[in-house]
Amino acid sequence: MSRSPSVIRQTIVTPIILIVVLLAMAALSYQFGSRAFNRTAIEMFINIMVVVGLYAFVGNSGLLSFGHISFMCLGAYMTAWLAIPPVMKSMTLKGLPAWLLHTQLPMWVATPISGAFAALFALIVGRIIMRLSGIAASITTFGLLGVVNNVYSNWDSVTGGQGSIVGIPPTMNVWIGWLGAAAAIVTAYLYSVSRSGLALRAARDEAVAASASGVDIVRERLVAFVVSAFIIGLAGALYAHFLSIVNPGSFYLRTTFIALSMLVVGGMYSLSGAVSGVVAMSVLIELFRNLERGISLGGFTVGLPNGAQEIAIGIITIVILIYLPSGLTRNREFSWRGWPLQRRLAQPVQTALKETN
Amino acid sequence: MRFIKALRLFGILAGVSALWLTPALAANEIVVGFATAASGFMQAYDKPAQDAALIRIDEINKAGGLLGKTIKPVFADTKTDQAEGAKAGLAVLDQGADLVIVSCDYDFGASAALQAQAAGKVSFFLCAESIKAGIPGVGPFSFSASVLAAVQGATMSEWAYTKKNVRSFYRLLDSWTVYNKGICDGFDWMLPRLKDATLAGSDTFKNDDASIASQITRIKSLPKEPDAIMLCTMMPGAVAAIKQIRAAGIKSMILNGSGVDGSYWMNAVPDLSNFYVPVQGSVYGDDPNPKVNEFNKKYKDVTGGDPSSQYVYPGYVLIDVWAKAVERAKTTEAAGVVAELEKMTNEPTLFGPRTFTKDIHHQNQGRYLIVDTEAGKPKVVDEWTISQKIPVDYLISK
Repeated sequence: MSRSPSVIRQTIVTPIILIVVLLAMAALSYQFGSRAFNRTAIEMFINIMVVVGLYAFVGNSGLLSFGHISFMCLGAYMTAWLAIPPVMKSMTLKGLPAWLLHTQLPMWVATPISGAFAALFALIVGRIIMRLSGIAASITTFGLLGVVNNVYSNWDSVTGGQGSIVGIPPTMNVWIGWLGAAAAIVTAYLYSVSRSGLALRAARDEAVAASASGVDIVRERLVAFVVSAFIIGLAGALYAHFLSIVNPGSFYLRTTFIALSMLVVGGMYSLSGAVSGVVAMSVLIELFRNLERGISLGGFTVGLPNGAQEIAIGIITIVILIYLPSGLTRNREFSWRGWPLQRRLAQPVQTALKETN
Repeated sequence: MRFIKALRLFGILAGVSALWLTPALAANEIVVGFATAASGFMQAYDKPAQDAALIRIDEINKAGGLLGKTIKPVFADTKTDQAEGAKAGLAVLDQGADLVIVSCDYDFGASAALQAQAAGKVSFFLCAESIKAGIPGVGPFSFSASVLAAVQGATMSEWAYTKKNVRSFYRLLDSWTVYNKGICDGFDWMLPRLKDATLAGSDTFKNDDASIASQITRIKSLPKEPDAIMLCTMMPGAVAAIKQIRAAGIKSMILNGSGVDGSYWMNAVPDLSNFYVPVQGSVYGDDPNPKVNEFNKKYKDVTGGDPSSQYVYPGYVLIDVWAKAVERAKTTEAAGVVAELEKMTNEPTLFGPRTFTKDIHHQNQGRYLIVDTEAGKPKVVDEWTISQKIPVDYLISK
């Protein structure tokens, strides 16, 4: 039997292209952008991490999840607990255990721990949620978001409640943002080409046939849930270092719907779609914010009225989805025509079940 | 296909346009950066105070400027978003701001203030009333132009005890924001200091509760109606709560924080009486200081409308005290300005004295005017300053 090249060799061009393009963006931003623009770039990289994490679950399992931003909250607050100097923690977060109050870890250590914490939580909660299918699972994840938000908003002694907690060292820059996005893309890619990812996609497309072929659907979904929670937990940790303050309100409905719309606009079932959706929306948002600030022509400043940006983004999202219902990348992956043995990451099969998604 | 090509072109243009450079700085100007909300719900609080600050800047420029230079205001919209707030702070810093003025609420202003602190510049919260808006929540170069919420709660309870012989209080807290909790923290601190005053009961509700019927039932089932209800709440839920309290036939005095100042909402509760609010200055035209009434007229000329609430005034005070500190320090360098601000003790301003020390960059004591609303008409009836300052440790520990 001839030895066919491994799946990784055939499909690795996709994550390479994505990572290289993002590196180019990071370099351009660092070289030519103002400080405020660099912050927009970092925000975009963190959004890429969130949406790629969301893709790792939604794209592979076909279940829409409204609750993944709760993992961002868990990751961000764990980083806050680990990275804030003990002097500041002892004043405001008196309910934390003494060993945690006296610890201060650098970003490189605190970030993976935060991701692992979110993944552990997903493992425990997912064992129950992943037994559900279709809309029931989606609504349950919505409930998860509500529970986490409520607990974090009210457990004053441990999370500072609804007020913000400050003091996380502001150690983020464009390069670390790019590194985070690259790590997220690599993790999601490796999961997608793994045996578990393939089994889950089989279950997404034809649940009955997959189950009959021996795929344990609940277990595969749980793996996807945990992997996506880890990625999004990392994103939360980096977000905390980016903003230096955390607040439960930043990890609730608004962020959830922005992340979901970026994923859907880009293409829900492809890794390239996840990244393109974020890049496209971020560029559009920044363009409209610049237009709101105004362009000076001679002595006058011509600009859109404040608030026009949100309306414009909404209209553009609708228009894109009218003409390209499966998103900007139409669920295909980026590949390079010159790459030998090219094969794309599998796209979803057209089945009758598709309507239920 | 053409659509996608057009999208790609659009995207490239958008990306390029986002990289435009920032304008240059003139040598005879002092730049003041406003990283405030021009959209989103914080705009309702930030814009009035900002307009008042701009009036003071205009007055200073007309009188010859600050240290002989013109004050130039620059603006960046935070869009009532924390991440945008940080960017807005950076945007004004990049335009050479020596002072960064941030949103009226700690949670929304902190991200811009932290950027200013990291850049070694003074930051000033337009009207934040939480103890965190200053040293504990930002850093040693951060200040707030308003008075702590706790002072409002303490002022109303002490005034009602002393001037109206109130002896039994009922504490009704809206647990939505730290501002509300701050008012009730001040009340809690003052109550043990009022001899023979009792707490008839205590309850909580949430700002967006449509009905507070159960809380009202508990008040009505007390053996005796409390003399006063300390209502620690703010817009928009305050209106419904007040309406329901009066509709249930509860005639107790209602004591409030400054958050409910203004007559714009009183149409919803017709003939409201026995209702008291502490304010730094009166927007109703009857302030005992005629200069305040003149300011109200000037505000109306500049913006086209009367000040809607007393939250306009801290904006004016902000520029006033900062400009004085800059004149005394003869520099806009943060260290010098902060040192001069920390020397201010009962510094007179149009809206009450201001004191800053190296322990607290906020007001833990303040002169408040008491506004009494009878039959739906608010007017100033008295003035009160609490007898002791509220200790900083108490405030931080809450």
